[in-house]
Amino acid sequence: MIADRQACFQLKASFFPCTILQISHYDLNQLEQQLFATIQRAPNFFLGSPVIIDLEKIKDLTTVDFSQLKKVLINSSLVPMGIRNGSEKQHIAAVSAGLPVVTIGKNSKETTQPTTEPEKQVAQPSTPGSKLVTTPIRSGMQIYAKDADLIVLAPVSVGAELLADGHIHVYGPLRGRALAGVRGNKDARIFCQKLDAELVSIAGYYLVKEELQNDADGGMMQIYLENEEVKLTKCGR
Amino acid sequence: MAEVIVVTSGKGGVGKTTTSASLAVGLSNRGYKTVVIDFDIGLRNLDLIMGCERRVVYDFINVIRGEANLNQALIRDKHAKELYILPASQTRDKDALTQEGVQKVLDELQKTFDYIVCDSPAGIEHGAQMAMYFADHAVVVTNPEVSSVRDSDRMLGLLSSKTKRAEERREPVKEHLLITRYSPKRVTRGDMMSLEDVNEILAIPLLGVIPESQAVLRASNAGDPVILDEESDAGQAYADAIERFLGEDKPFRFVSEKVHWIKRLFSIKEKEHA
Ligand SMILES: Nc1ncnc2c1ncn2[C@@H]1O[C@H](COP(=O)(O)OP(=O)(O)OP(=O)(O)O)[C@@H](O)[C@H]1O
Ligand SMILES: [Mg+2]
Repeated sequence: MIADRQACFQLKASFFPCTILQISHYDLNQLEQQLFATIQRAPNFFLGSPVIIDLEKIKDLTTVDFSQLKKVLINSSLVPMGIRNGSEKQHIAAVSAGLPVVTIGKNSKETTQPTTEPEKQVAQPSTPGSKLVTTPIRSGMQIYAKDADLIVLAPVSVGAELLADGHIHVYGPLRGRALAGVRGNKDARIFCQKLDAELVSIAGYYLVKEELQNDADGGMMQIYLENEEVKLTKCGR
Repeated sequence: MAEVIVVTSGKGGVGKTTTSASLAVGLSNRGYKTVVIDFDIGLRNLDLIMGCERRVVYDFINVIRGEANLNQALIRDKHAKELYILPASQTRDKDALTQEGVQKVLDELQKTFDYIVCDSPAGIEHGAQMAMYFADHAVVVTNPEVSSVRDSDRMLGLLSSKTKRAEERREPVKEHLLITRYSPKRVTRGDMMSLEDVNEILAIPLLGVIPESQAVLRASNAGDPVILDEESDAGQAYADAIERFLGEDKPFRFVSEKVHWIKRLFSIKEKEHA
């Protein structure tokens, strides 16, 4: 708590949320329009949020104008951080346009199988492979269950964030954000007693509050991925 | 050993200082030797609310820096018998509020007092964290509106992680919710969150509900904490909150709209006709 006057900085491990913009069809005008529409739906979530451009699906394209692409994102109030999964040529072009090649938020391929590293970072593993939290998760708090499921026996507030490599179970109202399978496990699911979340995500595919509202009917819900689409159903159905 | 109570909120201007003053007077009037400390370095409000601003010579920071001893800085309250005030400094030097310094002062106060009330500054930065760090109890002051509730929620998160009790994995800080500036009329009209809504989100024991009241401003201007205005709704609500803090069971007052008896009569008539 005491400020150390000698130290100029502190390194903090973080799971700072970063949105991946996977471009499947390169058309800057269309891209701009679609971004505008998306941001309109959830301004709080997107405005000023960092974005990594994923080139996986347009790898073979040699005509990508990176400085123009960067402008489009900035004009949409996003913060382009860099690119990934492009070809060698694309990488060179991107870097000269001021978009570095980033290696965080790894390739989807690498992470479909969650790696089984030793459990040293799970603070209090309840049983191997799961992390149990019994106190409320308040606004500004973030809980990560590394290589594990996360089980929460208390409310999760607006502004709180749950992350797990495995499933997430919330026996209480889920009002914050829940991201299951954060390292790419598409079989991860989210279960919660009362769904009122700001955002739910499975392996990086997500739905924001506006998209959740119609389907959440107050009962126990589950959220899972089917054909790259996030689905929600009532539990036991 | 004294118990340390932090009065905190996150959001500014919700009624922390008003609450600290009335809580301190209330506890001392119930026979507990109490000291109330202003952690709002640079702004200094508590002494005004307590009506002792002219008697401030030395302050909290002077004591931390060793420029004065505690007895020189403590001001005896004019309203209650066993009550002292430790005012904030106006030097604006927030960094002077070090954890060791605060600990030193609290340790010394622990010896002679039953309760130490810490009036926190707004925000979640250094000053607020210093005010809460050594707390045994936290009175979380919340106005019935979304941003205040959100900030209180944030504060509760910090209380469960950034306090001495949390760091030492001891029994957690006891949390108490105090809803202030409550207006049943505005709740009915739908432009204020209801008691139940606030309670559902924060989900901690409710210590009291203080109504929006003219008496508070009057009390501040006079330098007499509102709990001393025994006729007033806010004064009575604070008195109830003190009793609850001390473990008594008190029904909640001033939480639903008063309906004038003539109106009530009319509404019964209307029902009969219907
Ligand atoms: N129950 C109430 N009814 C009406 N006015 C109130 C009530 N409680 C507080 N106020 C008014 O709200 C204002 C802020 O109160 P106070 O100074 O106690 O808040 P605070 O949380 O300490 O503020 P800060 O964050 O600046 O320290 C004052 O003008 C006070 O008179
Ligand atoms: Mg104040």
